[in-house]
Amino acid sequence: MSSAPATSDLVSLTIDGVPLQVRKGTLLVEATKMVKQEIPVYCYHTKLGPAGLCRVCLVEVEGTPKLQIGCNTPVAEGMVVRTRGENVEKGRAMVLELLLVNHPLDCPICDKGGECDLQDYAIAYGRGSSDLADPKTSKPKAVDLGPTIVLDEERCVVCQRCVRFDDLIVGERQLVLKDRGHRNMIATATGDPYRHNFTGNVTELCPVGALTSKTYRFKSRPWDLRRTETSCTQCSVGCRMNIDLRHGNVLRTMSVEGDDAVSDWWLCDRGRYNIGYIDSPERIKQPLLRRDGTFVQIGWDDAFALWAKAIRSAIDAGGPERVAAIGGGRLTNEEAYLLARTMRSLGVKNLDWRAGRQRQATPGSSGGTLLDLERAGAIVTIGESPAELAPVMDLRVRKAVRHGARLIRVAAQEAPPSMPFQDVADVAAAAAAIPANVTRVALIWDGVDNALAHAAFAALSREGRTLLTYIAGEQGNARGAEAMGMLPFAGPGYHVADAGHDFDGICDAALSGKIETLAIFGANPVLNSADGAHVRAALQAIPFLVVTELFMTETAKLASLVLPAAGAFEKSGSMVNLAGDVLPTSAALAPPDGVLGDFEIVVGLARALEIELPDSDEIERATIAAAAALPVGIAFGDERFAGAAKKDLSGEGLRLHVLHHAFAGGGTLAHDERIAALQPEPTAAFAAADADRLGIRAGDRIDLVGAGGTIGDLLAERRDTLAPGNVAFVGLRSGSAANEIAVGSRVRVENIRHSDVPVEA
Amino acid sequence: MRKQLFNVGAILQGLGITFKYMFAKRPTIEYPSIKKQHAPRFHGLHELRRYADGKERCIGCELCSSACPANAITVIGAENSPDARVSPGERRAASYEIDELRCIFCGLCEEACPTDAIVLTPRFEMADYRRGAFVYSKDRLLVPTDAGVGTPPDERPNGIPADLGRVAEVKSTTNVDRGYSATHRGEVLKTERKGLAG
Repeated sequence: MSSAPATSDLVSLTIDGVPLQVRKGTLLVEATKMVKQEIPVYCYHTKLGPAGLCRVCLVEVEGTPKLQIGCNTPVAEGMVVRTRGENVEKGRAMVLELLLVNHPLDCPICDKGGECDLQDYAIAYGRGSSDLADPKTSKPKAVDLGPTIVLDEERCVVCQRCVRFDDLIVGERQLVLKDRGHRNMIATATGDPYRHNFTGNVTELCPVGALTSKTYRFKSRPWDLRRTETSCTQCSVGCRMNIDLRHGNVLRTMSVEGDDAVSDWWLCDRGRYNIGYIDSPERIKQPLLRRDGTFVQIGWDDAFALWAKAIRSAIDAGGPERVAAIGGGRLTNEEAYLLARTMRSLGVKNLDWRAGRQRQATPGSSGGTLLDLERAGAIVTIGESPAELAPVMDLRVRKAVRHGARLIRVAAQEAPPSMPFQDVADVAAAAAAIPANVTRVALIWDGVDNALAHAAFAALSREGRTLLTYIAGEQGNARGAEAMGMLPFAGPGYHVADAGHDFDGICDAALSGKIETLAIFGANPVLNSADGAHVRAALQAIPFLVVTELFMTETAKLASLVLPAAGAFEKSGSMVNLAGDVLPTSAALAPPDGVLGDFEIVVGLARALEIELPDSDEIERATIAAAAALPVGIAFGDERFAGAAKKDLSGEGLRLHVLHHAFAGGGTLAHDERIAALQPEPTAAFAAADADRLGIRAGDRIDLVGAGGTIGDLLAERRDTLAPGNVAFVGLRSGSAANEIAVGSRVRVENIRHSDVPVEA
Repeated sequence: MRKQLFNVGAILQGLGITFKYMFAKRPTIEYPSIKKQHAPRFHGLHELRRYADGKERCIGCELCSSACPANAITVIGAENSPDARVSPGERRAASYEIDELRCIFCGLCEEACPTDAIVLTPRFEMADYRRGAFVYSKDRLLVPTDAGVGTPPDERPNGIPADLGRVAEVKSTTNVDRGYSATHRGEVLKTERKGLAG
């Protein structure tokens, strides 16, 4: 909260006879909310500000001859405002009549019908009939704007909320208002499909049914839906989110108005549209045991008994060092806590949540909040930028840049963002690029290279400057998993514990036959780790591998025992987001028959092992305490989190970087055909110098060949911001060989097929 | 006692009532070969109607199910494919189900329908042995393709007209084999026995 304003900043006025004092510059539409009155609005939106386009917010201000618009009239000393009364009602009724001149009355067909501002206001303030008897204009009804959005031109009331969202919030400026007069319509400026990470928000902003989501069109009416508020677990931002269900199916997700601290009222398309997997028929519904090379269905009791027997015999034979457990980034805090506690009570120390490339999720005591981020004067990103890892956090970065912050990318591999930025080669150059007068600097790291993060922190720290750190990681509850003790060297609340192997160490031990049984909870390291081939070999060397999953992922296919687990919408608990906020998640629906949540799975295992478990109150208390524990003693780029020295990957050829993309990857993304169009085309980007040397033009098709395999049929792209000697690959998906080539290893380009029409890079 | 036994007057009086009804017009109808004439606005089994060109009137808007006080109607909407439209406009009913055991035949669905798609016919014969058989879906509710009436709104200029909710001069929309001819508000057509027997 900001401090109380000085008296000179306050303005006294009267609204509907109620005297009040508000801050200078407040708009009437916001001031009116304080006296519990409502001014109808279409073009005004709290997060977008006023535009003064629709004129429906007319109010009467004493002393002015005409009605004033409430959305763009700031308060003034001694103002007397009436939001009701004959004049206001007449004015609003006229505006509504004009808005409805060409708006079709097909409310029974319209998806917005039932939650439509035009419908509601027409009933509340409209006349109910019209003097305008001429026929309405006919316009195209279902214009395909892009892979996610359909536009109904007839219904558009030209409030321009979507255009302003694209301009003011996202900064992409793809949507524009085309043509004039009654031919006025929304379109993309270039005519290309409307496509960025936040397109779904325009369907919520649209006050009428003009912009609709392809995934939800005509599936339901708003009054059929049962709503559950939860937190999105698909990335580490943890946006508050409403899940709307009908007949037990997740039909849509909506952002939560008023969630200023985390999501800033927005959702990314990944969080909004990746929901179809929940109802996928491909989900595993029963425990599967590998027997003679094929999976057979078994019951849960047998599964727990077999698993417990494997753990017991491993401990009896060689001690708890031969047992390991991986997971936590996709579990709730409670599940991660119970897993860590159960394992540690057996003496198992080989615990780690880090089954991907990310090494660290807790930014230490310098960690900032998301609100702090938008107030930073300079933002430095090291490693991958948060644009694809944590899209809604990226909106805060864009907001900060719009307010004048300088965005500095260190050794960036990604395509240039659609905002002012500066690329520098190393952290020293980044430190030099920060203007001297900037006192608040945000440092965003992808959590992969600890040495680089440590160096960046040291280089950017300066007397009289606040350095805020953020780690935008791969998995939703990575920070929670660390707080709950799913780390090889720390227990719940970051208390130092006896050190075991981290994931790399577990893999190495497995290859030398020292791991008897490993349990992987909700992770797919074969696809997502830096060296998929190495992980695959290690997991194949483990005699009894248990994987809890929703789908038969690359990792689950290697398991001896696959246990079907509940998805994110099917379990309640809490998570810790990248800024350390503890967020509740609520079960919106029950898991399918035969599927258990990871919590029940750990409980089942503990019972089979005859381990005494704490009662649920104690688990809750311990989880809350651990989640609230301050990350004392953890440095940004802490060397305890750093992995073992990497294999020497130097050699001839280009260095391979595999970049994240909000819709790239396996797991849940591969099971909903409605989001297939959002997945990136597999692309390889080359520095201009490399492209010229190899004779690659933008738009060519190429293959990348590395030590582990071939990534075939990639679209080539030239990227001037990329440093020579590197190739950046985007578009990892299930079944691609990309994960078989170690990230950072050397690849060569083969089989260049020139396209007929060169594409502009 | 004896006097009572031979009270011929009383016996004749009693038998008189019997004889009177022997010659009176019989109220019993030989159901099912003969069926009773219903009140003009009798509410019986539902039917989903079509336009004259065979398109379904139902647009899947679910107003009937929201009006239904017994929660008997379940509609699931879907998008019309522009090439093969099932109903006029963009929306259609992918599934339309009425649980006739829940239905209280109040007719509010009929009142709520913006396209006069759902109507209550005077048909009342829906006995069955299984409860599940009383959930009527589109295959039993929809009238035959050639039994439609009226012009669909997208064939008129400017999309959906103001008189969407009004349907004029609707006569029969069903064949006589189904029992009563479906009617529209007001006029009930008498069942032809010939049709029933054949």
